[in-house]
Amino acid sequence: MSAERAFRFGRAHHLVGVAGLPEPAGAAAPVGVIVLNAGMVHRVGPFRLHVEITRRLNASGYPTLRFDLSSLGDSSAADESRTQAQQVNADVADAMDLLASQAGCSRFVLLGLCSGAQNAHGVAIDEARVAGAIFLDGYAYRTLGFRLRHYLPRLWSAARWRRFISRSLQARSGPGDDVFAVRFPPRDQVQRELALMLDRGLRLHFIYSGGVTRYFNHPRQFRECFGRLADRPEVSARLFAGTDHTYALQVDRQRLLDDIAAWLRDNFPISGGSNP
Amino acid sequence: MRVEPAQPCQFGSGGSLFGLYHAAAGGARAAVLLCPPLGQDMVRSHRVYRQLADALAQQGIAALRFDYFGTGDSTGASDACDWERCTADAVAAAAELRARSGCTRLIGFGARLGGAIALEAAGAARLAELLLWDPLLDGHACVARLDAMQEALRADPMRFSAPRSREDAAGQWLGFPVGADLRRQLDGWRAAAATVPVRVFDSQPAEARADWRAQLGAGTEVAALSSTASWDVLDRLEHAILAPDLVRAVVDRLRVAA
Repeated sequence: MSAERAFRFGRAHHLVGVAGLPEPAGAAAPVGVIVLNAGMVHRVGPFRLHVEITRRLNASGYPTLRFDLSSLGDSSAADESRTQAQQVNADVADAMDLLASQAGCSRFVLLGLCSGAQNAHGVAIDEARVAGAIFLDGYAYRTLGFRLRHYLPRLWSAARWRRFISRSLQARSGPGDDVFAVRFPPRDQVQRELALMLDRGLRLHFIYSGGVTRYFNHPRQFRECFGRLADRPEVSARLFAGTDHTYALQVDRQRLLDDIAAWLRDNFPISGGSNP
Repeated sequence: MRVEPAQPCQFGSGGSLFGLYHAAAGGARAAVLLCPPLGQDMVRSHRVYRQLADALAQQGIAALRFDYFGTGDSTGASDACDWERCTADAVAAAAELRARSGCTRLIGFGARLGGAIALEAAGAARLAELLLWDPLLDGHACVARLDAMQEALRADPMRFSAPRSREDAAGQWLGFPVGADLRRQLDGWRAAAATVPVRVFDSQPAEARADWRAQLGAGTEVAALSSTASWDVLDRLEHAILAPDLVRAVVDRLRVAA
C-alpha cells in the first residue's frame, strides 16, 4: 500500500512537492528517490513521466518526492541572495529533509532529465546524503567515434540527406527557443567530478534517449567520452535509440521505467529492508 | 496586499484529487474554480493557470486549481481519465472551493477541454458564470484533430530519427495514453447552449475564430485577445502557453463583476 501526500515545505516554505510513501518493508529505510524538474515543466514531468516513475518506484517500496525547484511549477522564490546552483543545492537539501522526516530515509538517489540531470550532477558533487543518481540525457560529449557514426552514413544515403535537410529547415524556420536547451561545462571538469562521486561510493546510471543524437549516438560513446571511468562497476550507461528526448510514446516510457526500476533494484535493493 | 502562498491540498473521495488553494488577500469576496484542460494542454497551460490564480488572489478573489482523476498529481493512471469522472471531479472541486473560501457564488474558468468540462459541470457545481478560454465545444472534431496530430507526431523528424510504427503510437494523444471510454465519450459529446452567463476569451487568429454565440447562445460575450495561443502546433508541443493578456482580461473582468 502506497500513499501520496502533497506538501508545501522548504527553508522559506516556498517549495511544493508530492511525496510517495510506501509502507515500510523492513527495519531500515530504503533510499529515497528525488525527482527534479525537466526544463520548465512542473513536477509531473513531460507527459506525466515523473508521476509514472515515482508511482512505479513506490510500488517497489521506494519512497519518492517529485517537487518543483524555486520559481518553477508551483514553487515560489526563496527571496535570498544565492547563485542558481546554490539555490538548487539548498532546494534539494530541503527536499531530502522532507523525505527523511516522512519516510525515514537517510540516503537518496537523484533522478533528472535534461536540466534535471545537470542539477542532479551539481548536487551530487558535494551533498553527502546522495548515494546515487540517474541522469536522463545528462552530460556527454561529441567524440571522433560520434562524428564518424553521424556523418559517414549520410554521405551515401539519399533518405538520410532528405531527413537531415528536413530537420535543418524545420529547425531554421522555428523560433529557435528549444525548451530543453542546455549548456554543458567542459568535459575534463565533468569527468573529474564524476570520478570524485564514484570515489565517494556513489552509483551512477546514465540513460541517453534517441532524442539527443546531436551529441550521443552509440552506447560505446560513454567510454569514448569518459575513458576508464566508464569501466568502474558503480557506473552504467545505456542508450534507448529510436526514442525521443521526453519519451512521448508509452512503449518508450515503459522501457525507461523498467530500466530505472531494475537499476535501483540491483544497486539499492530493498530485500531485508536494507540498502548497501 | 500580502497574499498567502497557494496551499496544496488533497480532496474528493479518499483524497484522490490534488489541488492548490489560493486564498484571497484580505478574505475572499468571490471565488473562481479553475478547470484545467486535458493532456498536453494541461501541462502547457500550467504556468498561466498559476499566474491567473495568483493575480486573482491579489485582487481578493480566491481560486482553486486542481487535477482530474488520472491527470497531473491526482491519483489514477493516465488512461483512466474519464469524461464523466472529470465532470464529477469539477463538481467535487467546487464543493472544496466553497468550503475553503466561504463563498457560495462561484465562477468557473476553463481553457480548451477545461472549458468544456466547466460547461458540463456548471449545473451540478452551481457555477454562476463561466469564463472560457478557447473552449473546445465539438468532441468529434476534437478526437479527429488529436488523432491527426498523433499521426503527425509519430513521424515527426524533429522528434524521432525514424518514423515510429502505428502500433507504437496507438491509443495515445500527444504523449498521453487514452482509454477507450474517454475516446468514446468525447467523440459523442457536443456542447449544448450554456445555461449560465458565458464570456469567451478568444486567442485564435481572426480567420480561425468560431461563432461562439451560435454554439453557446446569443447572450455569450466574446473578448478577442491580442496574443495567439499555439495550442495545435506540433512544433510547439512542449512549449508553455504564455498569455499575459488573458490573465489581465480575466482579472479585469472579475474586478468589475465581483
